[in-house]
Amino acid sequence: MSEGMIVGGWNYVIAAYTITGAGLALYVWSLIIRLRNSHNRDED
Amino acid sequence: MARQAWAVVRKDLLLEWRGRSRIVSVLLFGVVTLLLFSFAIGPDSVILQAAAGGFLVLALLLSSTLGLSESFRLEQEQRAIEGLLLLPVDPVALYYGKCLSNTLFLMLLAPVLTPVALFFYNVELGPTGFLQLFGLWGLAAAGLSAPGTLYAAMTSRLQSQDVLLPLLLFPLVIPVLMGAVKSVTLVLTGDPMSQIQSWTLLLASFAIIYWSLCGLLFPHAIEEGS
Amino acid sequence: MSQRMTRIHLFGLGGLLLIAVGTFLGLFVAPPERYMGEVARIMYVHLPSAWNGMLFYLFAFGFAIASIWQHKPKWDALTVGCIEVGVVLNFLLLLQGSIWARPTWGVWWDWDVRLTTSLIMLLLFAGVLALRSFVQDAHRRATWTAIATIVAFIDVPLVYFCVRWWRSLHQVQSTPETVSSFMVWPLRLNAIGLFLLTIWMVSQRARLEMIRHQQEQIDEPARMAPVGGLENV
Repeated sequence: MSEGMIVGGWNYVIAAYTITGAGLALYVWSLIIRLRNSHNRDED
Repeated sequence: MARQAWAVVRKDLLLEWRGRSRIVSVLLFGVVTLLLFSFAIGPDSVILQAAAGGFLVLALLLSSTLGLSESFRLEQEQRAIEGLLLLPVDPVALYYGKCLSNTLFLMLLAPVLTPVALFFYNVELGPTGFLQLFGLWGLAAAGLSAPGTLYAAMTSRLQSQDVLLPLLLFPLVIPVLMGAVKSVTLVLTGDPMSQIQSWTLLLASFAIIYWSLCGLLFPHAIEEGS
Repeated sequence: MSQRMTRIHLFGLGGLLLIAVGTFLGLFVAPPERYMGEVARIMYVHLPSAWNGMLFYLFAFGFAIASIWQHKPKWDALTVGCIEVGVVLNFLLLLQGSIWARPTWGVWWDWDVRLTTSLIMLLLFAGVLALRSFVQDAHRRATWTAIATIVAFIDVPLVYFCVRWWRSLHQVQSTPETVSSFMVWPLRLNAIGLFLLTIWMVSQRARLEMIRHQQEQIDEPARMAPVGGLENV
């Protein structure tokens, strides 16, 4: 009953959360790297 | 301003007439595209008949991109756009003139490509149907030309125009594509539930909205900044 | 300046915190949904992504108008910040939607109205970013970005309606939002948390753009700017 009509849902849930988290983390990391590079350029 | 716009249209049509090879090439391109669709789908006439409206509109859309990208090419190559701006031509008049001549150019494609498509895909159509089709295509052409002219002007100054113009335009004109495909298909296959009005309304709305909006934005697009 | 900097980082941290709590609640505390079971928990990230993506596209539209009105670098920086982050959220949204669709409808892609509109939005706004990458002159880049953003945004309701009409001839399957019995709290926390985090991301992206703009101003006299704008070499 806890699965309702759809079985094996947890894999999808984990996939969705992981992809979202990873995607956001990647983007944030790219921002930080780009900011760091632009600051280094400033100091050149 | 209307007089200036009309002057632009006349100039473009005259140039178009002198360089007839351009429209002939675009038409040939349209025919080739229709052919390619047939080969992609296969000779099953039932599928081809059902999809005929879609293929026709797609062929027109792809051909229109060629036409649009050329519409500022001459000005760009001969730096004529600066010349036009130096003259007391209102940029908005320039825009509407270009837009109108692009629309007329696109409308010329329909009378040729429609019979070809009907022939390839084995679809019959009476004279009323033809008139309806041309009317619908006129609306669609207007809808395509509005953002098309704006983006053609912008991308004509970039080296990658041949990629950027379709990239920017195609997602944007999906409502026009859908409206045209749906209404053309309904004309070709019959319209038992009178749905054609909704789609025609969509086409008209798109054209009105974008003719207004792009006219407002065009002067900013071609102004010389820094 | 550094005080302002610290304050904005609080947005990011606060956002992360709220998302952490919201996600915890969504995954471990909220009950499974009646029809969709555990899969419904995807909605706790999917809906906040959708709302925030759309909201920041709306902000981009506002900043674009400001950018045309007042040719200041900060408006352009904010415009591109909102668009870029919007595109990221948009892309994630499509992935989430697809993952949700698979167990629910059995297919990875179904021409659902909202997802299809979302896909077209992604193409529209990614196109704006693509256009931007080809323009070297800062002023023109800002103006053209603004124009393309406005044109793209106005298209969104048109696209939505036409896809809806297009779909209405076929069976419309129920999309996540029409399903009932959600726990409100994970949704609310994630939505607000993501909102705060997105504000932080936009601010950093805008800051990056302002730095770039300043560097271009410095480089400008030293650079032999080619005439005519065909400089993409």
